[in-house]
Amino acid sequence: MEAATIAHAGHDDHEHHGPPEANQSSRMDAQTLGMLLFIISELMLFGAFFTAYFFIRIVNHDVWPPGAKLPVDVAAVNTGILLSSSLTMHWALVSAQRGNRWGMKAGMVSTILLGATFLITQINEYVHLGVAPQDNASASVFYSLTGLHGAHVLIGLIMLLTVCIRVFRGHFSPEKHHGMEVPGIYWHFVDGMWILVFTTLYIL
Amino acid sequence: MGEERQSPVKRRDIPVMITIGLVASIVGIAVGLLIDWFPVQGSKQADKIDELWYVLIVVSVPIFVIVCCIVGYSVFRFRQRPGEAGMDGPPIHGSTKLEVVWTAIPAIIIAALVLYAWGVLRDIERAPANAATTEMKVIVTGIQFAWSFEYPGLGPGGKPIQSAQLFVPKGRSVKFLVRSTDVLHDFWVPAWRMKVDAVPGITTGYRVTPTRLGTYPVVCAELCGLGHAFMRQTAHVLTPAVFAAWRAHGGRAAAAAAPAAAGAPTAAIDPQKLFAQGNGQSTACGACHTLAAAGTTGKIGPNLTNTLKPQTVAMIKASILKPQAIITKGYAGGIMPPNFGQTLSPAELDALANYLYKNSR
Amino acid sequence: MTVKLRAPGLYRAFFYTLVGVAFSFGLSVTARLLYHFDPAIDSESILQISMLACPLFFLGGLGAFDYWFYWASGRPTRAEDHSSHGASKWQDYFRINTDHKVIGIQYIVTSFFFMFVGGLMAMLMRAELAAPGRQFVDSNTYNGLFSVHASLLIFLFIIPVFAGIANYVLPLMIGAPDMAFPRLNALSFWMLPLAGALMLGSFLAPGGSFASGWTAYAPLSVDAPIGQSFFTIGVQFAGASSIATALNFLVTIITMRAPGMSFFRMPLLVWANFSTSLLVVIATPFIAASQFMVLLDRALGFNFFDWNQGGNVLMYQHVFWFYSHPAVYIMMLPGFGIISEVLAVKARKPIFGYRMMAFSLLAIVLLGFTVWAHHMFVSGMQSWIRVPMMITTAIIAVPTGIKIFSWLATLWKGVLKMDTPMLFALGFVTMFTLGGISGVMLALVPLDIYVSDTYFIVAHIHYVLFGGSVFTIYAGIYFWFPKMTGRMYDERLGKIHFWTTFVFFNLTFAPMHVIGVQGMPRRVADYAQQFATWNLLISLASFGLGLSALVFLYNMVTSWRGGARAVSNPWRSLTLEWQVSSPPPVFNFDVIPTVVGGPYEYGVPGAVHGVMGGGAEVPRPGVAAVATTAGE
Ligand code: HEA
Ligand code: HEA
Ligand code: HEC
Ligand code: CUA
Ligand SMILES: [Cu+2]
Repeated sequence: MEAATIAHAGHDDHEHHGPPEANQSSRMDAQTLGMLLFIISELMLFGAFFTAYFFIRIVNHDVWPPGAKLPVDVAAVNTGILLSSSLTMHWALVSAQRGNRWGMKAGMVSTILLGATFLITQINEYVHLGVAPQDNASASVFYSLTGLHGAHVLIGLIMLLTVCIRVFRGHFSPEKHHGMEVPGIYWHFVDGMWILVFTTLYIL
Repeated sequence: MGEERQSPVKRRDIPVMITIGLVASIVGIAVGLLIDWFPVQGSKQADKIDELWYVLIVVSVPIFVIVCCIVGYSVFRFRQRPGEAGMDGPPIHGSTKLEVVWTAIPAIIIAALVLYAWGVLRDIERAPANAATTEMKVIVTGIQFAWSFEYPGLGPGGKPIQSAQLFVPKGRSVKFLVRSTDVLHDFWVPAWRMKVDAVPGITTGYRVTPTRLGTYPVVCAELCGLGHAFMRQTAHVLTPAVFAAWRAHGGRAAAAAAPAAAGAPTAAIDPQKLFAQGNGQSTACGACHTLAAAGTTGKIGPNLTNTLKPQTVAMIKASILKPQAIITKGYAGGIMPPNFGQTLSPAELDALANYLYKNSR
Repeated sequence: MTVKLRAPGLYRAFFYTLVGVAFSFGLSVTARLLYHFDPAIDSESILQISMLACPLFFLGGLGAFDYWFYWASGRPTRAEDHSSHGASKWQDYFRINTDHKVIGIQYIVTSFFFMFVGGLMAMLMRAELAAPGRQFVDSNTYNGLFSVHASLLIFLFIIPVFAGIANYVLPLMIGAPDMAFPRLNALSFWMLPLAGALMLGSFLAPGGSFASGWTAYAPLSVDAPIGQSFFTIGVQFAGASSIATALNFLVTIITMRAPGMSFFRMPLLVWANFSTSLLVVIATPFIAASQFMVLLDRALGFNFFDWNQGGNVLMYQHVFWFYSHPAVYIMMLPGFGIISEVLAVKARKPIFGYRMMAFSLLAIVLLGFTVWAHHMFVSGMQSWIRVPMMITTAIIAVPTGIKIFSWLATLWKGVLKMDTPMLFALGFVTMFTLGGISGVMLALVPLDIYVSDTYFIVAHIHYVLFGGSVFTIYAGIYFWFPKMTGRMYDERLGKIHFWTTFVFFNLTFAPMHVIGVQGMPRRVADYAQQFATWNLLISLASFGLGLSALVFLYNMVTSWRGGARAVSNPWRSLTLEWQVSSPPPVFNFDVIPTVVGGPYEYGVPGAVHGVMGGGAEVPRPGVAAVATTAGE
C-alpha cells in the first residue's frame, strides 16, 4: 500500500515528532478528490439558479430576452476566448509534467490574460445591455447567472494568479505539480459551466 | 470477547408477548377511535378526510406497539443481570429471510395506504356533475391581515357582490378561487378541512360542499407577518333560501345581521371590549395598539394613548376606516387591516372612535 | 498590545472586525456617493455590508487564512511544525486549532451553547402560550422567538453537533491521524459561532429579529425589516461551514482509511456520516442560492419573487425545500450511525444485517432528493406534482423500517447493559418510530391538506427532531464522554436525565398531535379558548423538559471536572477509537492500526477488529490479538 502524508502540496520532510503517516486508501489523492466534490457542490449552486431560470422563463413565461436583444455574437467570441484558456491551461500543465519551465510560464500567463479578457468583455456587456436586474425577473435571472459565473471566473483567476506567482518563483516540478493541477481542474469546470450558461441564456 | 450467555428466552414468552401486543393494539386503537379528534364536520370533503385519519390510526397503532413490545421484552428478558458483566450475546449476523419480510410488509402497507389516499384525494377534489351551472364561484383575497370575498355575477345586474364575511349556501358545491395581493396567506376553514395557500401572482383554489348550517371561523394558516394570529373571519353557512335573500339584497342586509348571528352584543356596545378583544370578526385593536384605558400593550401600531391627542373624532374614525390614507410617521403602511368598515357595524365604529377620543386626552 | 494585535488570535480577530466595520462604512458611503443616492450615509446599507464583511475580517484576524495567504504569496513552503495542533490549556480552544479532537470539542460545546439558548426561547414561547391572549411578548417578538428558536436548533445545534461528534470519533474510527484538510476543518468550525452571533444579534436589529419562520418564505422575507438579513446571511455562513465539513469527511473517509478497512468493515457511524456528507455536498448549495436570491431581492431590488415583474413566488419554496428536506435527513442519519454503535456495544451483539443497514442509508439519501414537495402540498403548486411526491415520500418508510427492525433484531438475545446511552438509544427507537409514523400520515396528501400548518406538524417536528435527533445526540455524548474527556459521567444523574426527559418530552409534545387535529394553527402567539387547557399542560410539561436539560448540563460540567478517570475502553468495544487511551494521544496513533475484521463481532470468540501497533503481521480472524485491549 502506498503511503502518503496528510499534509498539503509542498510538505517538506524533516525531523519532528508528528502524526504517523496516514494510510492512503484510495487511488485518488485528497486534493483532487476534494476539488471534484467541491465542483459537485458548485454545480448544484448553479443548478439552483437554473431552477430560478426555469420557473421564471418557462413556467412564468416572463419576457425573454430581458430588455433588448442579447449580443449573441460578442458572447460567442467571448466563449471562444474562455474555451481557449482551457487549452492554454492544459498546455501549462503538460509543460509542468515535462519540466518545461518556459511553457509553464507562458501557459499560465496566457490563461490569465484570456480569462481576464473574458471578464472585461462580460462587464462591458453589462454596461451596454440597456437593462438592469431591477427591471424584470428575466433580467434578474440573466444577471445573477452570468454574475455568478463571473464571480467564479474571478475566483479562478485569483487561484491561477497565485499558481502563476509560484511558477515564476520556481515551484512545481515534473514530480510535484499538484498545486497547479487542482486549480486547473477548477478552471476547466468554470469553462465548462460557461457553455451551459451561454447555451441557456443566449442561444435557447 | 466475553463468554456467550445461554438464551434466556422462555417457552411461554412469545405467546405472552403476542397477547400483550394484541391487547395493547386493541386498546390503542379503541382509544384512538374514541378520542374526539376533529372539529365539527362541515362539508362533504370532511367526511372522507376524517375516515382516512381513522384508518391511519388503525394501521399505525399496531406498528408502534410492535416496536415498543420488542424493546420492552428485550429490556425485560435480555437485560444484563448481576454476574453477567463479561458476557456477550450470540453472534447472529443477519437473516435474509427476516430482512425480506420486514422490507416487504411495510412496502405492502405503504402501497395500500398510498392507493387509498390517492382515491380520497380524487374524491375530495372531484367536480360535481355539471359543475359549470351548479357550482358557485367565490373569489377569496387575502391581504395583511384580512380576507375579502367576491361573488362574481351574483349581484344585481350581474355585478359582483363584495363581502367581508363569507356566506355560502348549504349543500351546494362552492369553488374558491384564492388570491393574495401581498404575501402568502392560507385560506382554511377547519370545519371544512380543506386549505390552500393564497399566493401572490397566481390563483389557487379548492372546492367544498358545505353540509352543515352555522358559523365557522375562517383561519389564515400561513405565516403572513405580525397580524397572522389575528387574521380570522367568519364563514356563514345559510340555508339556500336565506342565502337567496342575502343575495337579493346585494349581500348587504345579511352582512349587517351577521354580527348578531355571530353572537356579538347587539344591545349595548362595549367599546373597551371591542378594542381589547374585537367583536368576534373584527381583529382586536389591542393586538397592535397600546391604550392605557383598555389595558392593551400591543406595539405593532402607534400607542393610541399619546398619538391621538391632536385628532378629532372624525379623524380617528377616518383612520380606522381607511388606515392607508394617512400613515403615521415611523410605521409602515399596509399593516393595519383596511376592512374595519366591514367587520364593525357603523354603531360600533362610532362607539370606538368616541371611546378613543375620550381616552386619549 | 501591538504584538497581540499582530499575532493571529482573538485579539487580532476583534481588531480586524473593527477594520471590517470601517471597510463596510467606506464601501457603502463611496458606492452611494458614486450613484448619487441620498442620504450618502445609510445605516441599513452599512449594516448589511458589515454582516457579510465582518465575519470574513474576523476569520482573517483569527488566522483562519494565514497559511493560504502564505502559500498564495509564493514563498517556499515551510515545514509543518504542528504548533496549531492539540490543546494543553483552555486557551487552545479559542484559537485556530487543527486537531480534529479539539475541533470536535469546540463544535460540541458551541452547539450545546446554542441548544440552551434556543431552548430558552422555547421556554419563553411556551410561557406566552400558557394561556390565550397576550402574556409576555407581542406577536412580533413571538414570531421572532420561534424563528430564531428553530434556526438556532437546526443550523447551530443539530447539524453541527453531529459534525462535532463525527469530527472527534470518525478519524479515530477509521485509523486516521487527523482529517484530510485540518485547516479547512478549523475554518468550518469558526464560521459557526459567527453564524450564531448573527442570528442572535438580529434581536438587536431595528424592527426586531427575523420573524418569518426558519423557512423564511418569500415574499414575507423580502419585505421584512433588516433583522431578516441576519438570517439570510447567517445561513450562508452555517451552510458554507456544513459544506466544507462534509467535503472533509468524504475525502477523509475515502482516502484515509487504515489498511484492511474496506467499505464493508467501516463502523456504521462512518457509513452514516458518509451518506450525510453526500447529502450536504449536493443539497446545501440550494439553501445558499435561495438565500442569495432573497438577499438580492432585498438589498439590490432584484425581482426573483416580485410577481408584478415576472418573478415566481413558489420558486422559493422549491429551491428551499430541495435543500431543507434532505436537511432533515442530514439531521437524522448521523444519529442512526450513533445508535448503531451504541446498540451493538451495549447489546453485545453484531449489528443485525450490517449490509442492509449501510444500503438503507444510501437508499434514504437517494430517495431524500425526490420528496421535497411534500412540504408544499397546500402551497398551490401544480397539483399533479403531489401524487408522485406522496409515493416517494411514503416509500422512505421502507428503508427506515429496515433500520428500525434491524436494531430490534440486534437487541434480541443480546446482553443489554441498561445504562444511560442505552436508555437514550432505546428511547430513540420508540420515539422516532412514532415521529416517523406521523410523517407517513403527513405524506398522504388529503390528510396533510387538513393538518398542514397546524400543531400536528409541530408535534411531528419535535418527535423526529427531539425524540429522534436529540435522543441520539444524548446517547452519543454519554457514550463517548469517557473517550473525549478521560472521565466517567455520573450514571445516576444520567438515568435521572433520561427519565425526566423521556416523560416530559412526551407530556410536552404528544398533546400537540391532539390540538393540531382539533385545528390549532402553528406560528400563532394567541389562540382560541378551546385549546387553553391542553396548552397550559404543554407549557407546564415543557418547563419540566427544560429543567431536565439542566440535569444534563450539571452532569457534564461536574463529571468533566471531577469525574472518575476513565480507562481506555470502558465499554469493551471493538472499534478503533476505544483501543487508544482516553483521551486519545495528540496524534491518535503511534502507528496506523491494521484492520482485520468487521467492527461488531461481539460474541465471536477471539474476534478482532483492528490490530494496534502496526501491521507487521496480520493475524487471521480467530487468532486472538493481544493488542486489542491496550490500556486495560
Ligand atoms: C429529523 C428530522 C425529520 C425526519 C427524519 C423526518 C421524517 C419524515 N417526515 Fe418530516 N418534517 C421534519 C423533520 C423530519 N421529518 C420537519 C422539521 C418538518 C416541518 C418543516 C416546517 O414546515 O417547519 C417536517 C414536515 C414533514 C412534512 C410536511 C408537512 C407539512 O408541512 O404539511 C411531511 C409530509 O409528507 C413529512 C413527512 C416525513 C416522512 C414520511 C418521514 C419519514 O422519513 C419517516 C420514516 C420513518 C418511519 C415511518 C418510522 C419507522 C418505520 C417503520 C417502523 C416501518 C413500518 C412503518 C410503516 C409501514 C408506516 N415531514
Ligand atoms: C432540533 C430541533 C428542535 C428542538 C430540540 C426543539 C425543542 C423545543 N421546542 Fe421547538 N421547533 C423546532 C425545532 C426544535 N424545537 C422547529 C424546526 C420549529 C418550527 C419553527 C417554525 O415554525 O419556523 C419549532 C417550533 C416550536 C413550537 C411551535 C411554535 C409555533 O409554531 O408557534 C413550539 C411550541 O411549543 C416549540 C417548543 C419547543 C420546546 C418546548 C422545546 C424543548 O424541548 C426545549 C427544551 C430545552 C431547553 C428548555 C433548554 C435547556 C434549559 C435551559 C436553558 C434552562 C431554562 C429552563 C427553564 C426556564 C425551565 N417549538
Ligand atoms: C395588525 C395590526 C393592527 C390592528 C389589528 C389595528 N391597527 Fe390601528 N394601526 C396599525 C398600524 C401599523 C398603524 C400605523 C400605520 C397607519 O397609520 O396605517 C395604525 C394606525 C392607527 C390609527 C392612526 C393613529 C395615528 O397616530 O394617527 C388609529 C386611530 C388606529 N390605528 C386605530 C385602530 C383601531 C380602532 C383598531 C381596531 C378596530 C386598530 N387600529 C386595529 C396597526 C393595527
Ligand atoms: Cu394571513 Cu397568516
Ligand atoms: Cu420533508
